[in-house]
Order: sequence, then structure tokens, then C-alpha cells
Amino acid sequence: MFHWLEKNPFFFASAISIVISFAGLIEIVPNFAQAGKPLIDMKPRTVLELAGKNVYMKDNCMSCHSQMIRPFKSETDRYGDYSLSGEYAYDRPFLWGSKRTGPDLHRIGNYRTTDWHEAHMLNPPQIVPGSIMPAYDHQFENVADIETAYAEAVTVKNVFHTPYGPEIKRGREAWDAYRPTLIEEARLIAADMKDERVKEAMAKGDVPEVVALIAYLNSLK
Amino acid sequence: MNGLMIKSLAFSALLIIATIAVVMSLDIDIFADSINAITMGGAIAIAVITSAVTVKYINQMKTDTASGELADENWDGIGEYKNELPSGWAYSFLALFLWSMWYGFFGYPINAYSQIGEYNEEVLAYNTKFEATHKNADSVTLKEMGESIFLVQCFQCHGATGDGLSGKAQDFTARMNKEQVLDVIKNGSNQLGYPMGAMPAGMASGAEAEAIASYIAGGLKGDAPASYGACTSCHGVDSKGNDGMSPNLVSYDALVMNHVLQKGKKGVLGKMPAFKTLITPVQEKALTAYIQSLSN
Amino acid sequence: MQSNAALEYDYSLAKKFTFLTILFGFLAMVVGTLIAAQLAFPELNYLLGEYGTFSRLRPIHTNTAVFGFTVSGIFATWFYLGQRVLKVSIAESKFLMVLGNIQFWLYFVGALAATISLLLGYSTSKEYAQYEWPFDIVVVLIWVLWGVNMMGLIGIRREKALYISVWYYLACFLGVAMLYLFNNMEIPTYFASGGLGDPIHSVSMYAGTNDALVQWWYGHNAVAFGFTVPIVGMIYYFLPKESGQAIYSYKLSLLSFWGLMFVYLWAGSHHLLWSTVPDWMQTMGSAFSIVLILPSWGSAINMLLTMKGEWNQLTDNPLIKFMVLASTFYMLSTIEGPIQAIRSVNAIAHFTDWIPGHVHDGVLGWVVFMIMAAIFHMSPRMFKREIYSKKLMETQFWLQTTAVVLYFTSMWIAGITQGMMWRAVDEYGNLMYSFIDTVTVLHPYYAIRALSGVMYLTGFIMFAYNIYKTMTSGRVLSEEPQFRTPMA
Ligand code: HEC
Ligand code: HEC
Ligand code: HEC
Ligand code: HEM
Ligand code: HEM
Ligand SMILES: [Ca+2]
Ligand SMILES: [Ca+2]
Ligand SMILES: [Cu+2]
Repeated sequence: MFHWLEKNPFFFASAISIVISFAGLIEIVPNFAQAGKPLIDMKPRTVLELAGKNVYMKDNCMSCHSQMIRPFKSETDRYGDYSLSGEYAYDRPFLWGSKRTGPDLHRIGNYRTTDWHEAHMLNPPQIVPGSIMPAYDHQFENVADIETAYAEAVTVKNVFHTPYGPEIKRGREAWDAYRPTLIEEARLIAADMKDERVKEAMAKGDVPEVVALIAYLNSLK
Repeated sequence: MNGLMIKSLAFSALLIIATIAVVMSLDIDIFADSINAITMGGAIAIAVITSAVTVKYINQMKTDTASGELADENWDGIGEYKNELPSGWAYSFLALFLWSMWYGFFGYPINAYSQIGEYNEEVLAYNTKFEATHKNADSVTLKEMGESIFLVQCFQCHGATGDGLSGKAQDFTARMNKEQVLDVIKNGSNQLGYPMGAMPAGMASGAEAEAIASYIAGGLKGDAPASYGACTSCHGVDSKGNDGMSPNLVSYDALVMNHVLQKGKKGVLGKMPAFKTLITPVQEKALTAYIQSLSN
Repeated sequence: MQSNAALEYDYSLAKKFTFLTILFGFLAMVVGTLIAAQLAFPELNYLLGEYGTFSRLRPIHTNTAVFGFTVSGIFATWFYLGQRVLKVSIAESKFLMVLGNIQFWLYFVGALAATISLLLGYSTSKEYAQYEWPFDIVVVLIWVLWGVNMMGLIGIRREKALYISVWYYLACFLGVAMLYLFNNMEIPTYFASGGLGDPIHSVSMYAGTNDALVQWWYGHNAVAFGFTVPIVGMIYYFLPKESGQAIYSYKLSLLSFWGLMFVYLWAGSHHLLWSTVPDWMQTMGSAFSIVLILPSWGSAINMLLTMKGEWNQLTDNPLIKFMVLASTFYMLSTIEGPIQAIRSVNAIAHFTDWIPGHVHDGVLGWVVFMIMAAIFHMSPRMFKREIYSKKLMETQFWLQTTAVVLYFTSMWIAGITQGMMWRAVDEYGNLMYSFIDTVTVLHPYYAIRALSGVMYLTGFIMFAYNIYKTMTSGRVLSEEPQFRTPMA
């Protein structure tokens, strides 16, 4: 019955392509516009928070942490309200994760604070005995790539119409003009921190990775 | 049943028993929660079906012989029989296909089922019952309940014993330490939302402030320093907050707990987040009972 | 019956990719064992500074395993069996030979560079699609080169009808091409912002829930078209070839193949159960996953039935053992996955160690076993020498089988325990366990898994050694063996 197909590589390959395209067309395409809508009044992340998101991706925190609170009582008791699609509308990429070696972080900004994160990122088992999370001391040494974060904001604004203000625009001049705003935002975070390296870097006008990361974690609400 | 089948089913049984034993040793009731029960059922199905089916076919290597009509074709010496489909396989395929139709149209109807709807119903029912059951819980119950909530939500900052991890957060074995009081005297505070509003900065300084701070940190024992009078106007002569107008400086009473859980608090030690929705009223009462028990 | 003697196949490409398979397999397993050990003994996070943490290394492990080891294995076996079942030597076309060599070098250099980029922290963070855009371009190029090569070889074939293995390799090529392209649509921020920041950085074309949908439509099918389809293609060639038995049933091959093609793609949303993806999509993903048991088991059953009556081969040819065990682990993982895709079960299984348990049933028991068996079978033909040691092969088999069993039993218990602890409530109805309780309780299982990693890795080193000795000092064969692989 199918034997003729097996002698016709061209038709055979076409048949495979058709058969495997079905599901994507039916399942994914219809939902696209609908699922892209943000919650009302939702603001995109600030550039500093984007830089923090990039640190989160660089150190690959999602290998242990999810950002998806499922609608179970056991999860909403532990982490807060279940997650809504609209909350992720500006997340590129989505960072839901697929493994909870550590707890969910989607609303971590509600119940942890800057000073706690500082102590925890430096040495997790000291704060939570038995923790197997690695210490991220290097985030106190490395400087966050805030320029790339700005470039990202410009990109999503121009290409995907993410609602950033007029101060986010192409080119180096715009970036130079925006930079002080970002540093000011970082200073507010760093003010709650104790580490000497952070203070030194901030004094030089640099933003350590950990400061950006904490800005991001605080924005997860 | 032959040896191989028995061995492989025994292995499956062992694995399942081990799993159940570990779970039960943690005080988890597998059957009280239908999700737990279905999961165990699924695990059993995986182990048993895989063992039984694979061993059935492996046994055929021992007992059966290859037969059938060979196709004409041959690739690099590989031939092909024109045997019919194994009927068990074919019927299972059909059956599962029909089942999937049932599942999509009736089990979880694709046009009607909502996981959020299911959640809302379940949680509403649960919460109503929970608040009603524990409305008048006695102090022992509250304390026990509070301890378990504390160990889930609070211990990451306050430490398992509530000692505040050497000064990283509030130490519940006392009401306040000297450093904290000094800070408030010096800088004032306006974040907890008491009817009295803000606590002004600079109410005392130097040795006076030191003396007041030692007095409060020491649990308000003995004679109050003279300058403490400035404080009692707001915090009350007994320092218990003037009927809720300002914070109680002696103990963690219900109002202190309520204000800090609603508003959070930033102090010298660090910042305490607000727990507006994560903690229910009964849970707040329970936490209060537990935290009070730590300072006694 | 044709005679093989008439045709001299060219194995140079198969050999090159075989070396890469072994190299990347070794790397993937060393890193896998290290990260497994890190979860049991966190001090091991600090061996390489910033580059040695679990989180940096985990993608190195997965990508080296998938894009390094498995893909090399697919290329190596294709360049071996493709020629044979199409009855044409690749050396008959200079063009295809040149293309194949370009593919090899591009792949080798590209894979190393991409691994280094992950180590440095360049990652788009979608699982199994972490590479940043410059490496995506290299991946696409390599894939196109392979596709052209495959089509080219099919174009000049002498055997009219395509053998079952070829169906699967073709599907692997088409499926991965389509999925990879869609999922890796990203915009480099440097170019879109007027030259700001890091040129390697990009943002995804999709956001939030849509991004998740595309990712897991890809992710699930990367498993399908990377860990399943081509591996089934391998067993359809190497098992009958090694045993000299004819395939049990053409009809079963046919139905399993087209069933798999049709059903697999629908199942992707089982990675997103209980998430913010619409309920109807979750329902479809769940239902089709259950249906998927049958087309998956169809191929495995076809293979087991091919060995009907051949008990003696099973007991005295370790290569047959590898392949029969691979089939059974394939069956295990393709019923375990579907059961984990049931909504209620997934409520527990998702996010826990039961998932990596399921993953490694498949990859260690099925993918690696099958690829090693293929290399054992190919080596005497490629190097014209007898396998160096049968005894070593036997020992390796038992060591690694024990390792897989330890891996999946420990993760199965760990995962179910953790999932149930997260849900557990005390007598009052409040959560019973703090998160850290659910971490510390896993220590023994993490330690067992680390041990199983050491055992499995040791087995793989024995394998590599056996192949090395075969190449260098196996007894020289005067003619190519027809079926059973000769071993000393
Ligand atoms: C090896 C796994 C692992 C990695 C990698 C990891 N974590 Fe964790 N994380 C944990 C575990 C386990 C816990 C729970 C114990 C604790 O609080 O330390 C945790 C807890 C946390 C918490 C506190 C959550 C809470 O509810 O108490 C935060 C915040 C956090 N991690 C952030 C991060 C960030 C940011 C990264 C990446 C830079 C990261 N983690 C990487 C395992 C990990
Ligand atoms: C004008 C009224 C007023 C006076 C006078 C006053 N307090 Fe207060 N005090 C408050 C209020 C209101 C708060 C709560 C502040 C907030 O909302 O953050 C407070 C908070 C505090 C706290 C922090 C309690 C907590 O739970 O965090 C301390 C300690 C304290 N006062 C000590 C003193 C001392 C010592 C003096 C005298 C030197 C003093 N107060 C005088 C009104 C007063
Ligand atoms: C992210 C860390 C963190 C978490 C989680 C946390 N706390 Fe705190 N808490 C603090 C810090 C820091 C302070 C001390 C603030 C100061 O005075 O410097 C504090 C202070 C307090 C105080 C004293 C407030 C006062 O006015 O004197 C109470 C009571 C308290 N916490 C209760 C709780 C309870 C109950 C929970 C759990 C439901 C909890 N905390 C969770 C960090 C935390
Ligand atoms: C019938 C076939 C299969 C089905 C229905 C299936 C189903 C599933 C399910 C439900 C998950 C868990 C998703 C989650 O909750 O996080 C999963 C994860 C996974 N499976 Fe399977 N599985 C199948 C076969 C296989 C095979 C044969 C392999 C490998 C050889 C495999 C590899 C994986 C991998 C790598 C993951 C992890 C994905 C991640 O990173 O989250 N699966 N599978
Ligand atoms: C020595 C053998 C191996 C060991 C000890 C090992 C160990 C590990 C560990 C510890 C993880 C992380 C699990 C977690 O985050 O909790 C992991 C993930 C993974 N490994 Fe392995 N691994 C080994 C071999 C392999 C091989 C050979 C492959 C593929 C061919 C592979 C594919 C994967 C995949 C796809 C994941 C991601 C699973 C997920 O995200 O759910 N592993 N492995
Ligand atoms: Ca994963
Ligand atoms: Ca990519
Ligand atoms: Cu999947």
C-alpha cells in the first residue's frame, strides 16, 4: 500500500514534512496573539533589571529554579498567587525552568529582600543550613554588562513595541544620556548592601553583577 | 511464570515498596491526596507493565522460532517478514486512541475544563473550613501550628531557632537589641502604620539614648532612666503601646505582629518583607503565639 | 541475494565521526558525573571558579550529550549504514566526499566553540537551544550540509526502495531542521540598537507563554527527532544485521513509523502542564502522550520479535545484549514519559528528580547503549580488525546496566518523595515541610546517582579503550564479516 512511497524519496520526504507540521499549526498558531497580551498597566523591566535578568541567564539559575507557580494550594501557600500568562508578556525568553532543585522564584520579590539576597548569594548554606546552592562570589567581582541590557531594551522597544519611554533609543548618545538614571537605580539597591567590593565598584561608577541580579530578583513579584 | 518474569516483577515490587516506605516514613499519607494516589498508581503501572511486556517478548526468544513469508527485498543482507501486526499491540493502539478521544471530549473537555476554576473552588472550600475550624483554637494548638508555619516561611531569615542568624534579622529571644533601639531613637521611623503615625527622630541622644536603649533591650527591667519619660508619652507608661497607638516595646503582641506582617519593616538589621497575602489571619495568630513562646 | 564484495564502501567519514562520538561522549559523561556529585557534595562547585558551578556546567553536560555525542553518533552511523542500505559508496561522488569533510570540520570546530561560549556564560537559556545566534548559524549550516549529503547519496542509490533506517534518518533530518529554525528565531541586540553592547547577545522573537510553547514544541521533539527517531533508525539496521535475522514485520515497521511521525509533535505541551498555557492545549498534549506509547513500543516490539528463537545469540553475543537491553529501556522510558504526562501524575513529577530519572532511562539505557553497540558493530568493518576483547565488553555491559538501574531507581524515589513533600500538609492543614527539608532529604539519592555516574563513566572508558585497542592491536581480518561481529 505504501510501498510506492518508499521508492520515491521526494514524496516520502514531503509526506513526512506534512505529517509533522500538522500539530504545530493546530496547537501553536491560533494561540499566538492571545497569549501575547500583557496585564493591564504592566510595565516592562527597567534596564537595570534586564541586566540582572541577563546575569540570571548567564549563571543559568533556571537550571535549579522555576518561575511558574502552578494553581495548587500547596504552591500558592508557599510562593503566593498562581502565575498568569499576562505577567510574562515582556519576558524574552521565558524563564519558567523545568526543574526545582531550589524553590520557585516567580514572586521572590515579595518575601525576600536585598540584604537577605546579598548574604545568601555570598554563601547559601550559611543562611539556610543544608543548602546545596552554589555560592556566587564572582557576581560580586564581575561588572554587569549594562550596555548590552540597554541594547536589549532598545531592540524590544523598536522591534516588538515593548512600551519603554522615549529615553530608550538607538545609538551611543542615547545610552550615554540614560546611563546616570541606571546608576542611580543601582545605588538605591547597593545602599542596602554591605560588601566592600560592591561599594568600591559603585564608587567607580560600575554596577557589579550581583546588584543587577538583586534588582531583577526584587522585581519578581 | 518463569524465572525471568518472577525476577523482574520482584524487582518492580521492591522498587515500589521502597518508594512507598520512604514516603510513609516522612508522614505523608498517600491516599489522603488523590494526586498522590494517582501518582503511585502511575508508578506501579510503569514498573509492572514494562516488566511484564518486555519479559514476555524476551521469553519468546527462548521458546518461539522465527517464521513467516519473506519479502522480496533485501538490504545489505537484511530481510523482512510479511508478518501481521501483533494483535495485542494493534488493539491497544486502537483502544488508546479511543480513550484519547474520550479524554479530550469528556474527561477534560477541551472547550469547558479550566484548571483555574478547579483551583478556585478547591481553595475556597478549603479556606472556609480552615478558618472556621481554627477560629477558637487553644494556645497550645496555635503555638504548634505557628512553629510549622515559621519553619516554612520565616526561618530562612530568622533562623530555625528564631535567633535571627547572628544579627541578620530580628532575634525573637528578646524584643529588641540595643542597636535597633538606638537606630530608631536616632533616625525615627515611619513605616509600620500605627495610628500615632511617625516616630520622630532625635528624641534623645548621647548617654541618654544609650541608657534608654540598654533599658529597652534589657527587657524594661528595673528602674527606667529619667529620660525615658519622653517615650512613654507615646508608648505608654507600661511601654505596651498605649492601646495600639504605637508599638508595644515589651513583647511581640498581636498588634506588633499584624503591623509588621502587613507593612514589612526596614531597620538596622535589614529589611523584613511584608507578608500581606501569604499569611492568613489564623496563621498570623498562630505565628504570634509561637514567637511569643520564643521570648519566654 | 547480492554480494557485498562487489562494492568497496568508504568509511573515512564514519570513522571520523566515530572518534568525535567517543570524545564528546566522554566529555558529556565526565561533566554529568561531576554535576551529579555537586548536588550531593556542593563543595565540588568551587573547582573551577566561576566556570565550575553546577549551573554553568549543566548546559555543558546537556549540550555536549545532545549536540556532541548523540549527533556525532547519528552522523557516524549514517555515513556507515547509509551507503550500505542504499548500496552505493559515498566515494563514488567526489562532491559528497568533499561536502562530508567540510561538514566534519565545521562540526568539530563549531561544537568546541559553542561549548566554550556556554562556559563563558553566553546562553539564550532555552533548554537544548542555549547556543547564541552565531552558533545557531553554524548548526544550521552543518545540518544543511548533512541534508544535501543525504539527499545526494539517496539520489545516486542503487537500491530502489528505501530501507526502514533511511526513513528514520530522513525524518530526523527534516524534523530537527524545522524545529531548530523556529525555536531559535532571535534578534541580535547589537545590530538592532545601533551598535551597542555585546554583538553575541540576542533576544528571542517570542515572549512569555508563546516562547514557552515554541520552546517545548521544539524541546519535546528534539527528544523525538534526536534521541528517538535516529536511534530507532540505528537499531533497525544493526540488530538484524548483527543477528542475521529478518525484521519481524514490515507492517509493524510501517505503522510504527507513521504513527510516531503523526503523534509525536502533538505531545510537546506535556512539558507545560498546569502552566499558563491554555487548558485545551494541555489536554491535547496529555492525551497524545498516552497514545504515543504504542507507536514507540511498536518498533521496540518489532526488534524483540526479530530475535524470536535466538536465545543463544542473546546469551553469547554481548552486542545483542546491548541492543536488546536498549530496546527494553526504550520501552521503559516511553511508558514512563506518557504516565508522567497524565495531569495528576505530572502535578507531582514535574520539577522533580523523577524527570531527570526518566531522561536518563532513555539516554543512558537506550541512546548510549545503542550508539555503543553500533560502534562495536562498525569497528571491525571500518578498521578491518577483530574486536579486542569480548570479556571487557561483557564486564562493561553489566557495570553500565547496574549503573542505569541505580540512576533511575534513586531518582524515581527521590522525585516521588520530593513531589509529595512539596504538597504535604500537617494535621492543621498548613504546609508540612520547608523547602530546604525537601532538599536535604535527597542527599542519599544524589550520592547514589553520583556513584552510578562514576560506574557508567568507567564503563564508557572501558568501551573507548576496547575500541582503541581494536584499532591498534585487534587481530587483522582478511575479509569483512557478513553478520556477527568477530571478537576475541
Ligand atoms: C544547584 C542548584 C542551585 C543553583 C544553580 C542555584 N540555586 Fe538558588 N537555591 C537552591 C536551593 C537548594 C535553594 C533552597 C535553599 C536556600 O535557600 O539556599 C535555593 C534558594 C534560592 C533563593 C531563595 C528562595 C527562597 O524562597 O528562599 C534564591 C533567591 C535563589 N536561590 C537564587 C538563585 C540565583 C539567582 C541563582 C543563580 C545565580 C541560583 N539561585 C542558583 C539551589 C540552587
Ligand atoms: C510621637 C510618638 C512617639 C514617641 C515620643 C516615641 N515613639 Fe517610638 N514609636 C512611635 C511610633 C508611631 C512607632 C512606629 C513607627 C513606624 O511606623 O515605623 C514607634 C516605634 C518605635 C520602635 C520600633 C518598634 C518596632 O516594633 O520596630 C522603638 C524601638 C521605639 N519606638 C522606641 C522609642 C523610644 C526609645 C522613644 C523615646 C526615646 C520613643 N520610641 C518615643 C511613636 C513614638
Ligand atoms: C527576607 C527576610 C525575612 C523573612 C522571610 C522574615 N523576616 Fe521577619 N524580619 C526580618 C528582618 C531583617 C527583621 C529586622 C528588621 C530590623 O529591625 O532591622 C525582621 C523583624 C521581624 C519582626 C520584628 C518586627 C518589629 O517591629 O520589631 C517580627 C515580629 C518578624 N520579623 C516576624 C516575621 C515572621 C512571622 C516571618 C514569617 C512569616 C518573618 N518575619 C519573615 C527579615 C525577615
Ligand atoms: C512516548 C514517549 C515519551 C513521552 C510521552 C515522554 C514524556 C515526557 C514528559 C511528560 C516529560 C516531563 C515534562 C515535565 O514535567 O517536566 C518528559 C521529559 C523528558 N523526556 Fe520524555 N517522554 C517520552 C520519551 C522519551 C525518550 C525516549 C527520551 C530520551 C531518550 C526522553 C527524554 C526526555 C527528556 C530529555 C526530558 C526532559 C525535558 C526537560 O528538560 O524538561 N523522553 N518526557
Ligand atoms: C555518566 C553519566 C551521566 C550522569 C551521571 C548524568 C548526570 C546528570 C545530571 C546530574 C543532570 C542534572 C539533573 C538535575 O538538574 O537535577 C543531568 C541532566 C541531563 N542529562 Fe545527564 N548524565 C549522564 C549522562 C548523560 C548522557 C549520556 C546524556 C545524553 C545522551 C544525558 C542527557 C541529559 C539531559 C538531556 C539532561 C537534562 C534533563 C532535564 O533537564 O530534565 N546525560 N545529567
Ligand atoms: Ca529540564
Ligand atoms: Ca539559540
Ligand atoms: Cu516531551
